[in-house]
Amino acid sequence: MRKSVTAAALAAVLAVGSLQAARAETLLVSSWGGSWQEMIAKTIGKKFTETTGAKVEFVTGGTIDRLNKAKLAAGDPETDITLTTSHVGWLYQSSGLFETLDYARIPNAAKIFPEARISPGHVGVWSYVYTIGYRKDLLPEGLTFDSWEDLWSPKMKGLLGLPDFDPSHIIAVSAILSGADPQHWEKGQDKLLALKPSIKAFYTNDASSQQMMSSGETPVQILLSGNAFYQMGQGVDLALVIPKEGAVIGIDAIGIMKGTKKSELAYKFIDAAFDPEVQAEIASFKKLGPMVEGAPVDPAIARLPGVFTTAEQWKEQAIVIDHKLRAEKLGEWKQWFTEHMIAQ
Amino acid sequence: MIDQSYLRRFLLPALLLAAVYACALAAIVQYAFRTFVPGSLEVGPPTLHNLARLVDPLYARVFGDSLLIGLYTAAATLLVGYPLAYALVRTPSRALRSALFVVAITPLFTGEIVRTYAWLNVLGANGFINRILLWSGLIGQPLELMFTTLGVCIALVHFSLPVMVMILAAALAHVDPRYERAAATLGAGPLRRFALITLPLSMPGVVSGFVTIFAWTLSAFATPQLIGGGRVTMISNLVYQLGFASFNFPFAAALSLAAILLTVLLLALLRWSQARVDRMAVHA
Repeated sequence: MRKSVTAAALAAVLAVGSLQAARAETLLVSSWGGSWQEMIAKTIGKKFTETTGAKVEFVTGGTIDRLNKAKLAAGDPETDITLTTSHVGWLYQSSGLFETLDYARIPNAAKIFPEARISPGHVGVWSYVYTIGYRKDLLPEGLTFDSWEDLWSPKMKGLLGLPDFDPSHIIAVSAILSGADPQHWEKGQDKLLALKPSIKAFYTNDASSQQMMSSGETPVQILLSGNAFYQMGQGVDLALVIPKEGAVIGIDAIGIMKGTKKSELAYKFIDAAFDPEVQAEIASFKKLGPMVEGAPVDPAIARLPGVFTTAEQWKEQAIVIDHKLRAEKLGEWKQWFTEHMIAQ
Repeated sequence: MIDQSYLRRFLLPALLLAAVYACALAAIVQYAFRTFVPGSLEVGPPTLHNLARLVDPLYARVFGDSLLIGLYTAAATLLVGYPLAYALVRTPSRALRSALFVVAITPLFTGEIVRTYAWLNVLGANGFINRILLWSGLIGQPLELMFTTLGVCIALVHFSLPVMVMILAAALAHVDPRYERAAATLGAGPLRRFALITLPLSMPGVVSGFVTIFAWTLSAFATPQLIGGGRVTMISNLVYQLGFASFNFPFAAALSLAAILLTVLLLALLRWSQARVDRMAVHA
């Protein structure tokens, strides 16, 4: 009797111990939900679990919702890792929410593009572009988009849709076309004001961008490359172009939350993210650009506009707005844009 | 005398909720008086700058536009909802009453976003309305309904109609039909009976419905966001833009505070006008 009681107690202790060990081996990752979560789980998460045996659990939400939650939990983070947009990542960084990354602990990061190093605390993990997309069947005759300048063509009157949540893209382009840069964006203000006749409406999110494009309400848009590829897959007669000045790059980034007790696992997760095979899988999954040079991306994906796989493409086709500048200026840009472009 | 002290316990959940809302409101109030620091989540020292900016013509115009859209929507919802509520209350057939009730409240069973997306397909240049009008030859070019105040108001009327109908139906149910029958026996026609008996006696519902929809519409977000396409901006859209796109939480909080004060003012107006109308109805 005593033996069986002892054995049962031992089994219970072992069970509790193994349960705690399993719990200790779960990495909490903050990311967007839906197809983004699915992609991260099936690419980075899969590789991470294969390598470490640890599991991944997601805490999902919108970009700003997660930022607010992280701020409230500062010092005792809800998650170990956060994936967010690069300029929003700067808000994490400037609020002291990210650990400083030690690249010696991320061997796969040896071949990342220089543009991936966004701040001491966050590193770009995939890229996309905001560029000109248009409905081939609804474009006025003779209108082409070799240059961003073509958006100002009189033929563009009442055709253009722009994102209302982020004017960075058109502000950067207007500054460049005016001989300046995003830092000195004021020089492009007259150019921006001259664009108003072309603008039909502003879209709120990816879904309304797709709705306005597919319904033909705004047959030309500055839009996210992934949105354009998705609509092409749905049969919308859509073309995406990279103008001669380049397309505006967006980068989603990853950082380790300050105060995490699973720093070792967090580094392994980031290392899994930069595994060349994983980078190629990410590119295939959502038609995103890898951040590691030499990732074996499917040639059909690599040929798509805005999927940059070489350093030359980054140099020749990418307009990179400094992410810190973007985080600092977005409020000012947005206010000016709302007052002078949207509400006028 | 029955001891009703135990009823106080039922107040506890409401008090807890009120405390949570009060804390949230306090957070908004303190943000409204802090300085925006670009590129940071932290806010700066106390300032009145955010409140001073509210009188900027652009932001004052957004408030003005929101009030106008609220007025248009409330008036149109009243015009559409009154006959429906009247039919709902006065139709002798129980089956027809049930059918009307289902028609009136069905929009409540679909979410605001779903309903708004449906309207995108109805109001668009290639949408249902324009296709019918073009097909019938009534118009040669598609009407501009999307990204206009008219389009936003049409969708908001659909959104608000069930609430208006329920408020009006409750008020009309209290109007004794014998008054109208008595007037009819004295020779009053249908229009006269409606103008002199039914409408005055249902005025408490009319006022209540109008102000409720007006106040409700002031906080509309998804409909003006999606159908307005940035061309029609209401207060909630501006708060969203400033807080979630620009990270300017202090000014977004100041706008929210102004919107809350406006709503409180409207509710006070509701109580005042309701009391006056009730007195008029009693004397009628």
